[in-house]
Amino acid sequence: MSFEPLQRTVPPLALVDVTKRYESGGGAVTALSHVDFAVESGEVVAVVGPSGSGKSTMLNVLGLLDEPTEGSVELRGETTAGLSEAERTDARRESLGFVFQDFHLLPTLSAVENVRLPTAFLPDDVTDRAHELLELVGLGDRLDHTPDELSGGQKQRVAIARALINEPDVLLADEPTGNLDRDTGTAILEESRRIADEAGVGVVAVTHDDLVTEYADRTVELVDGVLRDV
Amino acid sequence: MSDRRFPALSLATRNLSRQRLRAALAALGIVIGVFAVVTLGLLGNALSVAAQVAAVRRAADGRGTVVPLQSTGGTVRGTGGQSVAQVYGTDNPQALFGNGSGAVPSSHRQGALVGSGLADELDLRPGSTVTVEQNEYRVVGVLPPVEGISPLQPDSAVVLPPGEFASDDVSQVVVRANSPEDARAVASGVRERLNSRQQRVSVFSLTSVLDRISEFFDLLNGFLLAIAGVSLVVAGVSIFNVMLMTVAERRGEIGVLRAVGIHREQVLRTLLVEATLLGVAGGAVGAVLGAATVVVVATRTELPLWAVLQPGNVVVPLGAFAFGVFIALVGGLYPAYRAAWEPPVEALRG
Repeated sequence: MSFEPLQRTVPPLALVDVTKRYESGGGAVTALSHVDFAVESGEVVAVVGPSGSGKSTMLNVLGLLDEPTEGSVELRGETTAGLSEAERTDARRESLGFVFQDFHLLPTLSAVENVRLPTAFLPDDVTDRAHELLELVGLGDRLDHTPDELSGGQKQRVAIARALINEPDVLLADEPTGNLDRDTGTAILEESRRIADEAGVGVVAVTHDDLVTEYADRTVELVDGVLRDV
Repeated sequence: MSDRRFPALSLATRNLSRQRLRAALAALGIVIGVFAVVTLGLLGNALSVAAQVAAVRRAADGRGTVVPLQSTGGTVRGTGGQSVAQVYGTDNPQALFGNGSGAVPSSHRQGALVGSGLADELDLRPGSTVTVEQNEYRVVGVLPPVEGISPLQPDSAVVLPPGEFASDDVSQVVVRANSPEDARAVASGVRERLNSRQQRVSVFSLTSVLDRISEFFDLLNGFLLAIAGVSLVVAGVSIFNVMLMTVAERRGEIGVLRAVGIHREQVLRTLLVEATLLGVAGGAVGAVLGAATVVVVATRTELPLWAVLQPGNVVVPLGAFAFGVFIALVGGLYPAYRAAWEPPVEALRG
């Protein structure tokens, strides 16, 4: 693998001097201020900070859902500035996986169908991989259950499987344990840790939960839009 | 997504099945609109055809007789009240008003014949007395009700012997031709010979009646279809409303779709398929119901079934169905566009 050294030096996802300002009623709000951040393959990073400190904004910018006002988001070393909406959508599908606090599964679809949702409009059939991923997260016996037939923890496992369906470089999690009890949260975090280690996926988890930081390789803190190591 | 080849269709049907009642009500609007267009369109067409054929048949059944006719208006009084009526004078009422019935005499020397409508109105029967402009006559017969279209209106008229008229002037000559072609030929012949130098007579033929019938029905059909079309537009508004509600409720889900890499156009397509499916279901039900209703009406009334089942009428339900689908698609356009183009960050924020 001649690319091995290159991959070590170029992080799969990075923020380079990113500033994000919003226009709100009371004037401009700076959600992120000159943030430099990178996540490596196989690394779990916890982003902590008080409410309104810019954590969600950071995750949205990392996830190519929102564009920075200044600075750039780099995907495998290449800037994403100037990408069209369609290109950003493709980049999200190909390189990133999302896990939300509210799981955000489609209620009309079974577990397998939810897992392969990102590929729904693609020609290739990923049903087998969806089965494997659900087995990997311990839901091999719940393949055809709809979300309302699953517990919170099971839903989050389906969401993790969905985030992994396209073999992403980075998994972005917004309060992944926010709606789960402590034991379930622990199990989900162990799962995430294992995926990061085994699949070499970088994980960025925005959280209030101290439990998350225990499973993280490193923790960064956002305060008033400024990022610092903890 | 059992059918992976049509993910938009599969997702759309799942979404519709979530709010069955709401989807059914939205489709019901289209059902009613398409039903209205189909029934009014088919009935209008059938009536128009039936009326024209009845008029032609009347002309074709004629015996080629020429009957001079005097006509004036006057006050007619009977036991049941009085009325202003057309008064015809002819010595051959059988040819003009007989309808093949033996009740109308072929020669008319005394007494009055009363149109069926007038007889009902003034309570007149054979044997009773009718007063026409101060003169009393014995009712010798009631004319059979007229069927189809005629240049004369005997139903509300009194027919007297020609001798009862103050002047001998004949105001009309009625020609019963053997066929519509004959009627046309006679009409133009009369026009050429009598009106060559100056306008001496005006010729009123059943063929021109036919033109008037179709003109009238074209106008009536257009009017009825416009009303039915309005109900379809209302149905489109209800689809619009339902789709707006749907995308508002599913805002977060649509945000997730966009976040995990589904393109705006693919979300748009899924939502448009959803709206169109409402139109397809409603349109199909409405078209079938409407066509069935008109067939039932035709079998229960004097409207001939063949006038309904003519091949040209196929376009009515097909056209109404297509219009219903189109209206549903248009109704879904803006809500789908708004949902698909919303930035996923805002949609996810809820």
